Amino acid sequence: MAAQGTSLRKYLLTRLGLVIPMVLILLTIVFLLMRVAPGDPISASLGGHAPQSVINQIKHQLGFDKPLYTQYWDYLSGIARGDFGTTITDHRKLTDIIKVNGAATLELTFFAMLIAVAVGVFVGLVAGRFRDTPLDVGGRLFGIVVYATPVFFLGLMGQLVFGVWLNWLPTSDRASPITQATFQTHTDIFTLDAIIGGQWSALGDIVKHLILPATTLGLATAGIFIRLIRVNVIRTLKDDYIEAARARGITERSVVYHHAFKNALVPVITIVGLNMALLLGGAVLTETTFNWPGIGHALVTYLENRDYTAVQGIIVVFALVVVAVSVLIDFLNAYIDPRIRY
Amino acid sequence: MAARAHPFDRASRARLLPAAGRALKPIREARGFARAMLWTGAGITLFFILMALLAPVISPYKFNQYQEHGHRFAQLAKPSSKHLMGTTVQSTDVMARVIWGAQTELKVVVIALVMALAVGVPLGLLSGYFGGPLDRVLVLIMDALFAFPYLLIAIVIAFLLSNSIGKGVLTAAIAITAAYVPLYFRVVRNHVISVREEPYVDAARALGARPRTVIRKYVFFNVVQNVPPIATLNAADAILLLAALGFLGYGIQPSDGAEWGYDINRAVSDASSGIWWTGLFPGLAIVLLVTGLTLLGEGLNETINPVLRRRRFGRIDFGPPTPTDAENL
Amino acid sequence: MSRKRTSRRKAFAAGLLAGAVVLAVAASQSFAGGSSHKSAAASGVIVDGTTDTVVNIDPANQYDYGSFTLDLPLFQGLYGFPNGAKLKPVLATGCKASASLKTWTCALRHGVKFADGTPMTSADVKWSFDRVNKIKGDQGIYTLLSNLKNVTVSGQYTVVFHLKTAQSTWPLILSTNAGYVVPKAKYPFNKILPNTSPQVGTGPYQLVKFTPGQQAVLKANPNYWGPKPKNSGIVINYYSKSSTMKLALAKGEIDMAFREFTPTELTSLRKTKGVVVHEGNGVVIRYLVFNVTRPPFDKLAVRQALAYLWPRQTIASRVYHGSVQPLYSMVPAGLPGHIDAFKSAYGASPNVAKAESVLKAAGVTTPVPVDIWWTPSHYGDASADEYTEIQRALNASGLFKVTLKSAEWAQYSGALGKTYGAFQLGWFPDYPDAEDYEVPFFQTGNFTNNGYSNAQMTSLITKEHGAKTIEARLAAIKAIQVLSAKDVSMIPYWQGKMIAVSRSNVHGVDSTLDAAFYMRFWLLSKS
Repeated sequence: MAAQGTSLRKYLLTRLGLVIPMVLILLTIVFLLMRVAPGDPISASLGGHAPQSVINQIKHQLGFDKPLYTQYWDYLSGIARGDFGTTITDHRKLTDIIKVNGAATLELTFFAMLIAVAVGVFVGLVAGRFRDTPLDVGGRLFGIVVYATPVFFLGLMGQLVFGVWLNWLPTSDRASPITQATFQTHTDIFTLDAIIGGQWSALGDIVKHLILPATTLGLATAGIFIRLIRVNVIRTLKDDYIEAARARGITERSVVYHHAFKNALVPVITIVGLNMALLLGGAVLTETTFNWPGIGHALVTYLENRDYTAVQGIIVVFALVVVAVSVLIDFLNAYIDPRIRY
Repeated sequence: MAARAHPFDRASRARLLPAAGRALKPIREARGFARAMLWTGAGITLFFILMALLAPVISPYKFNQYQEHGHRFAQLAKPSSKHLMGTTVQSTDVMARVIWGAQTELKVVVIALVMALAVGVPLGLLSGYFGGPLDRVLVLIMDALFAFPYLLIAIVIAFLLSNSIGKGVLTAAIAITAAYVPLYFRVVRNHVISVREEPYVDAARALGARPRTVIRKYVFFNVVQNVPPIATLNAADAILLLAALGFLGYGIQPSDGAEWGYDINRAVSDASSGIWWTGLFPGLAIVLLVTGLTLLGEGLNETINPVLRRRRFGRIDFGPPTPTDAENL
Repeated sequence: MSRKRTSRRKAFAAGLLAGAVVLAVAASQSFAGGSSHKSAAASGVIVDGTTDTVVNIDPANQYDYGSFTLDLPLFQGLYGFPNGAKLKPVLATGCKASASLKTWTCALRHGVKFADGTPMTSADVKWSFDRVNKIKGDQGIYTLLSNLKNVTVSGQYTVVFHLKTAQSTWPLILSTNAGYVVPKAKYPFNKILPNTSPQVGTGPYQLVKFTPGQQAVLKANPNYWGPKPKNSGIVINYYSKSSTMKLALAKGEIDMAFREFTPTELTSLRKTKGVVVHEGNGVVIRYLVFNVTRPPFDKLAVRQALAYLWPRQTIASRVYHGSVQPLYSMVPAGLPGHIDAFKSAYGASPNVAKAESVLKAAGVTTPVPVDIWWTPSHYGDASADEYTEIQRALNASGLFKVTLKSAEWAQYSGALGKTYGAFQLGWFPDYPDAEDYEVPFFQTGNFTNNGYSNAQMTSLITKEHGAKTIEARLAAIKAIQVLSAKDVSMIPYWQGKMIAVSRSNVHGVDSTLDAAFYMRFWLLSKS
C-alpha cells in the first residue's frame, strides 16, 4: 500500500514537473513569433493617422525598441510575479480579461460539453449496442455529418432558422442589453450569478441566449464522442468477462447495461480531457459567430491588432488550462490503473 | 548470400504483387456498413477530386468572372437558370466559386498533408528509434504544440507568412502543416518505440545491421501502415481547418482564388438580410467533402484495423475424404 | 458494489433532472414575462449598437472614434459643436486672440459643475491641458496640442493659451478631445485613469457601468449645467460583427445603431419594416496614396492617367449603393473652402482617351504593371469589393495591369509608404475643418511616408495656418486643393454620408447628423 502511494505521488510530481518546461517553451515560441511577425500594436492604433516620428517616440516610451532578450526577461519576470501585464490596444489588465472573458468561455464550454456528452454518449451507446442495424448506421452517419459541419456554418444556419425565420431565440450576446445593464455579477458566470442573486427573470434571458451557441458547439463536438463511445462499447462487448457473464446465464439486458455500458463509459473522462484543446478551438469560432465575449474571441481580436501582451497572456492561460486538464486526467487514470505510472 | 538486390528489380516485383494482393485482402473482405462507408466515402471523395481537376471544363464561369459579353452579372441575384446557385456581392457566380473552390481546398490540403508527413514521419522515426536527448527535446516541443488548439497554431503561422510570401495557397498550406506535424510525429514515434522492441528487430541489430537498414527494412513499412487511415481523417480535419482560417479572414483573397470558408464569411452579413444562397452552397460543399473523407477514413480503419475487422465466414471445403492410415488399419 | 454504483448513478441523474427543471422554470418565466425591448421602452433609455471599440475613456489618451463617441456625452471642452457644424463656445463664453495670433485669452462659463457636484474652475482647465502633454499617451492625441507652449490662469475663470506659432484656428483645436476638461481632484497628473475607475466630466451624462468590449451604461447627469437630455439614459452595446448588430436591431433588442453596417445590410435595412435609415452630410473620406518616389508612380504621367481613369461612380453606386458620394478633392464637400479640384483637372468620370494620351506623351509603355495595396477589415468588408471594381476598371482600359495586394491592418498600418507604392487609406477628421484635410496629407514627412515634398505646398500651408482673415484662409485652402490635383500625390475618391439606423419610434436622429460628425445622444428620445 505504501509503495502504491509513493509511486502515485512520484508520478504526479513528474507530470507536474514537466508542465513548467512545456509552458515555458510555448511562451517562448509565442513571444518570438509575435516579435518576428511584421506589424506592431503601436502602428496598428496610430498608423494611418499619426506621423512616423510620433510612432517611433511612443514605441521608445513603451520599450519596444529595447533588445529582444531584455523584453523577454522583463516579460518572464513579470509573469513570475503574477503580473501578466496590461494590453496595449485597450489598456485592460490581462488578469481582468482572463477572469471576465475566461468565465464567459467557461460557461459556454461547460454547457456545450454537457450537450456533447449527453448526445454523444446516448447515440454512441445505442449505435454500439445495436451494431450494424439501421440504428447503428443512423447514429454513425449523424455523428459524421455533424462533425463534418463547420461550427460557424452550423451557427449561421441556427441563427437564420431560429433567430430570423422562426424568431424564437436571440442570435448573439450573453444577455439582452437591458438585462446586462442591470445585472449584478460576482463570478462573471452569468447562470451562477443569477441563481445566487435570485435574479430569476434575468436567468431566463441568459439561458435563452445560451441555447444556440452551446447547442452549436456541443453538437459539433458530439461527433467525436459518438465515434469513440461506440468503438468502446463494441470492444467491451467482445471482452472475455462479457462472454463469461453470458455463459453464466445473466440476461443480455443485464449484461449490456450493468457490465458493458459501465465500462465503456470509463474513458469518457479521458475523452473529455483530450478534447479540451478541440473544444477551446471550436469555442473561438462559436464565440465569433455569436458575439460571445469569451477568451477565444478576445484572442482573435488581439491577434489581429498585434497586441503582444494580450496574445502572450491568453496563450499562456490556454496552455495552462489544457495542460492542467491533461495532468488531471492522467492522474485519475494512473489512480485507477497502476500500469500507467512510470 | 547474394547482395541485397534493388527493391524494384524483377524478382522483387514478382514478390510484391501477391503481397499487395494480400494487403488489400481486408478491403475485399469487408462487409456490411464498413464496406458501404468505404465505397461511399471513396465515391464522394472521387467526385470532389474530379470536380477539382475538371474545374476549368465543368464550371460555367471563372471564379472571379463578373460579366459575360460585356454584360455585368446581377449582384446578389437569386438562383436562376443563368446562375444555378445565384450570385455574390461581387457579382460572381456562386456555383463557379463552389467548383473552383474544390480545387483550392484539395490543392491546399494535399500540399499540407504531404509536407506534414514529410516532416513529421522522419522526425518521429528518428526520434523513436534513436531516443536520447534529441528524443526528449523533440517530445517536449511536440507535446507542447500538440496540446494546443490547431486553429490557433494555424492562425499564428498564417499571420507570419502572409507578409513574406503573401496570402495564398502556400501560406495556408504551411499554416495547416504546422498544426499537424506534432500529430504524425507522435503517432509514428509511439509505434516505432513499440516496434523497436520486437524480437526480429533485436535480432537484426544483433546481426550487425546498420540503423539505416533496420529502419528501412523493418520499422518503416510496419509503421507506415498506420498512416493512410490517419491521413484520410486528417485530410477531413484539414479542410475544416482551412475553412475556419478562411472564415476568420486569414485565408485566400477572392481575387486570387475561390475558398469556401471565405465565402461563408462574406455570406454571414448576407444572411442577416435574408440572402441564403451565398452561404448555403459553400457550406454544404464543405459538409459533403468532409463527410466523404471521414467515411473513407473510417471505412479504411474498420477494414484494416484487426480489432474492429469483421471477417466473412465462408464455407471451408475440406475436399473428398482421403484414405487415412486409420482406414487402412 | 454494483448496488452502490447504481444508487450513485441515480443520485447523479436526479441532480441533472433537478437542474434542468430549474432552468426550464426560469426560461418559461422569461418567455411569459415579455420580451426585453418592452422593458426598455418603459424606462426611456435608448439602447445603441456599434461595431466601434473603446480604447480609453480618459480623454487624455484616446484618438479613435469608438472612444470619442463614448466620451462625447461625458466630457466637454472650451469650444464644441453643440448644434450643427458651427463652432460655438461651450465651457468658455468666448476667446480673444492677441494681434500676433499667438496668445489666446478665454473666459470660462460660471456655474459649471462636474458630475460629482464640484465646481469647474480655471485650475481644472490648466490641469487638463498640462496632463495631456505630460502623459504623452500612446494613442498620440497630444500631437493635436503640438502648437501649445503653455497654459496660464488669471483668476478662477480666465485661462490663457500661449502658442508657439500664430494660429487663427486655435478654437478648433479647443473643440477636439485633446481639450476636454477633467477635474484636478480625480484625474492623476502623470498617468491615465483606467477604464475601470469612475470617470467624471461636465457633460450631460455620467458613466454608470463599463464592461470592456461589451457595454457602456450612461445615465443623465443630475449636476449638468445645460438643458436636460431628452432621454433618461443610454446603453451602448458593442458588437464585433455588423450582421449580429443588424439582427439585434431588426428584432428590437437595440433601438438604434451607429457605425457601421455593410452596404448590403444598409440596403436590406432600408426595406425593413419598423426601421428607418437616417442620412446626413458626412466628412469621412477614402483616398489612394502614391509613394511619389517609387516607380512607376514616380512618373507624374502614371499618376495623372490613374486620376483620369478612377471609377468613382462605379464604386459609389455598385459597391456602396449610394451611401457614399464621389469625391473630387481631399477636402470633403460641405466644408468651407471645398472645390472639386480633381473634377476640374481630370473630369467627372473616367476618360480613357485622355489617360492614353498623357501616357503616350510621357513615353510610358502600356499596359503599365502596377501593384495596388488595400486592407481587408479595418475599413469594412466592402474594401474587398471596392478594390475589385478598381482593378476591373483599370484593367478594362487596357492601359494598366493591376495586381491587388492586401495585408491586415496591424501590418498594413506600419508599412504604408515605407513599403507600398499605391495604397488605400481612409480619414476621419480631428475637427471638421479644411485645415485638418491638408496639413496631415501634404506636409513634408507626413504620416503616410509617401515621400511627397513640395516647397510651394509647404508655404501655402503656413499661409493658411497663420491667415489673419477668413478670406485669406479660404484663398489658401483653395490654392492648396488646386496644387494637390496638379501634383496628384493622392487621389480622393469618396466621401461617406453620416448614417445612423434606428427603429421608427426613436426621434431626433436627423438633428445630429451633420459635418461635425457627432452623435449627440442627448437630442434623442423614444416614443
